[in-house]
Amino acid sequence: MRGSFSDHASLLLLGAGLILWFWGTWPLLGKHSYLRKLHALSVADTLGSSLMLLGLLLRIPGQWPLLTLALVGLIVWNTIFGYVLAACSLPAHPSRRTGQEHTP
Amino acid sequence: MTVVLWGMVLALVIPIAVACRPSDVWDRLAAFSSVSSKVALIILVVSVLRDDRMLGLVGAIVLSAGNAGLLLLANLLREVER
Amino acid sequence: MRRLLPLLLSTAFRLALWCLLTSDLSRLNLLIGLVVALLLPRARSRPLPVRLLLKAAGRALLAIPQAYLEALRLIVAPGVVELETSEPATDRALPLLVFLDVFRITLTPFTIVLGLEDGGRRYRIHSLLPAAAPEASEP
Repeated sequence: MRGSFSDHASLLLLGAGLILWFWGTWPLLGKHSYLRKLHALSVADTLGSSLMLLGLLLRIPGQWPLLTLALVGLIVWNTIFGYVLAACSLPAHPSRRTGQEHTP
Repeated sequence: MTVVLWGMVLALVIPIAVACRPSDVWDRLAAFSSVSSKVALIILVVSVLRDDRMLGLVGAIVLSAGNAGLLLLANLLREVER
Repeated sequence: MRRLLPLLLSTAFRLALWCLLTSDLSRLNLLIGLVVALLLPRARSRPLPVRLLLKAAGRALLAIPQAYLEALRLIVAPGVVELETSEPATDRALPLLVFLDVFRITLTPFTIVLGLEDGGRRYRIHSLLPAAAPEASEP
């Protein structure tokens, strides 16, 4: 009984993650602004993928160290990568660190 | 479970298509990062389906180290564009 | 003690990563992990304010459920508004604190940090908010 419950829950989580994937990846095809695509991608890749990893965790609880590592790595790396992509893609303005910038 | 796997592969096609068509280089980079995390997730799901620990290890390592190269590339591109 | 803390923290962090990666708690493996953690090069250490650090870490953890709520709100929203804001930074001197702040802000789908401005005293933030239906939204 318990086994089937966790199976259903994990399928539910996987499906929810899949929906987030589609929702967040779809705007890539459109003609929105670049930063808006990045917002959507952070939904898809960070939040959707971590939902999926939770679903997998319910399915194989024996492998929790591996999946925990994957979860932490996924969240931290994807978030920081989103920041780096956003910061680097800005039109070159006088070096970020000196702080003498003017917003156009 | 198989349906979920097919859905994931279908979702993977979207960023690949974006990366293949001519567009802004930053759009492409974002698409590539999306591809990398999606592929790693697919590896993990396949490893669960096959009950193979080694495959899961590969997926976890790709997930936690795969984006580092893209991160370097983004920094490099910014320096080049400046 | 305050000077020893960063060393302890980073070693414990690396050891934890090693244990998760190998998923093996035997004594030999722990010893190997400890040696690796101590041998890896480390950044220049300086005293850490523990309380600030704990507060920032707690806020970063709280951001995760909040991120899901914001994602749901974005999904059901009929339209979105883009705008640029800024937020005062806590402390620029500690890279770890800045990292935690950037992590917390970027994790939520509404906001992405674009960089530091004003000599590192403020974060430049790009935010995407669900448009309120009756009010006229900005173009």
